Amino acid sequence: MSSTGTKLETPGAKPHPKLRALLVEDNALDAALVVRALFKEGFDVIADVVQDEAAFTKALLAHNPEVVLADYNLPNWKGMEVLTVLRREGLDIPMILVSGALGDVTAVECIKQGATDYVLKDGLARLPEVVRRALREKHERSLRHQVEKDLAKKADELARSNADLEQFAYVASHDLQEPLRMVAAYTQLLSERYKGKLDETADKFIGYASDGALRMQVLIQDLLAFSRVGRNTAASEGIDCNGVMKEVLQTLAAAIQESGAVVTHGELPAIWGDRTQIAQVFQNLIGNAIKFRGDNSPAISVQAEKTDQHWLFTVSDNGIGIAPEHAENIFVVFQRLHARTEYPGNGIGLAICKKIVERYGGRIWVEAQAGSGSTFKFTMPLHGPDEKPEVQP
Amino acid sequence: MKPVPALFIVDDNPADLGLAREALARCAYRGQISSAGDGVEAMAFLTRREKFADAVRPDLVILDLNLPKKDGLAVLAGMKAHPELRRIPVVIFSTSQLARDITRSYELGANCYISKPGNLNEFFSTIKAIEEFWFGPVKLPPRGE
Repeated sequence: MSSTGTKLETPGAKPHPKLRALLVEDNALDAALVVRALFKEGFDVIADVVQDEAAFTKALLAHNPEVVLADYNLPNWKGMEVLTVLRREGLDIPMILVSGALGDVTAVECIKQGATDYVLKDGLARLPEVVRRALREKHERSLRHQVEKDLAKKADELARSNADLEQFAYVASHDLQEPLRMVAAYTQLLSERYKGKLDETADKFIGYASDGALRMQVLIQDLLAFSRVGRNTAASEGIDCNGVMKEVLQTLAAAIQESGAVVTHGELPAIWGDRTQIAQVFQNLIGNAIKFRGDNSPAISVQAEKTDQHWLFTVSDNGIGIAPEHAENIFVVFQRLHARTEYPGNGIGLAICKKIVERYGGRIWVEAQAGSGSTFKFTMPLHGPDEKPEVQP
Repeated sequence: MKPVPALFIVDDNPADLGLAREALARCAYRGQISSAGDGVEAMAFLTRREKFADAVRPDLVILDLNLPKKDGLAVLAGMKAHPELRRIPVVIFSTSQLARDITRSYELGANCYISKPGNLNEFFSTIKAIEEFWFGPVKLPPRGE
């Protein structure tokens, strides 16, 4: 036989696609028998027949076979070497050993080394089904591979899109601050310099402009804070909530003293998270409890309990409460339930809490009745990614 | 007789320069205020080149970082490399809060770094604090000439 191999093809002009096979076989008759066995069971075959590595590689790259059928022993080569070449070329093509008796141990060893299946030369009746199954499994592998690739690509696009959005929100908020600073400063200067010197209308106009600018400044700062939540600036660690509580109460010291608030807490657990963000959640919830107080001095309680799935934190107060129909709204960014003249703030505190809690897979909600205080609850996972968190108090 | 104090403010934003002048007017500061809008003009003024031949040597420089033509850090480095200019105290006054800007400023020899406050009242009180400190208890270096 020539070193470039021969071609075998089944007769007939069947319209459906031919099975491209690559035979590694030195015996012409055996090769023909293989093709005939396939043809009998409905395969329309076009096959190259080769006997050595060079010819095999050439045919492999030139004709892109769907299946390789190899004899175990050849004068100039070993059938199992096919797998070496396939690996080298990075090709996932089923390889079926078509051979004389090899013995179970050798057969199993060949499968372990990567042969898809093994058919005896005097049992070629099995071959078509074996080829069918090999092709089917290859097809499923390709589909799965494609799905995984698409998924990875989508995840990648999503991550990039998210990063773009956060970058945009951050840059927009950041860059808006500068011109806004000018407007706020000079409307305030206008107000101070010309108050009472122009007419009442002018005073009013300047007043509105100045107020608007100042409110915008706070809004932009809040937006910046909100857009920063997703930016993974600090690594998560194990944190002791009792320590965090101490810091939060210190931060809120002025408001606590001014309102006569009493803040109590039970024993709080160690959880896994970004310390600054966890502190932010406590600070916003307790700060709100102080702000939205009724006639009495605020009495605020922070508790934690362990359930099967998570840590459940509760922040309850005796303030003005929230009507049940607003329970969902309050977590939406910039949603406020009261006029600015009644209670200050932009309505971003709870939206930030929600974003932080959900970042860890937790949930936050309120159990409330209008006029009789609010109870905010949120969950946090029991463990970090490596089981037991190491505690930094 | 004590020479009139001379302050040199470098800022590319005329609105911010206006705010600084307004703030200083509200303090007890009765000295000179010169200004430049970019880094090249700032160095020309400090080294008394060409049209700035009669410029007074400032006692204190308030320096913004984001300047056109030559940025604040380059001006700072230029001053510290100059035998007469390097003794002049420099206060960096910038909107930037980036750690690398702060670090680099101190590394290049700035006397201090101050972030421009967003709130007008805080801006005024910050300028006032600068004026009261540097022209109060501080002994400024004698003008070399």
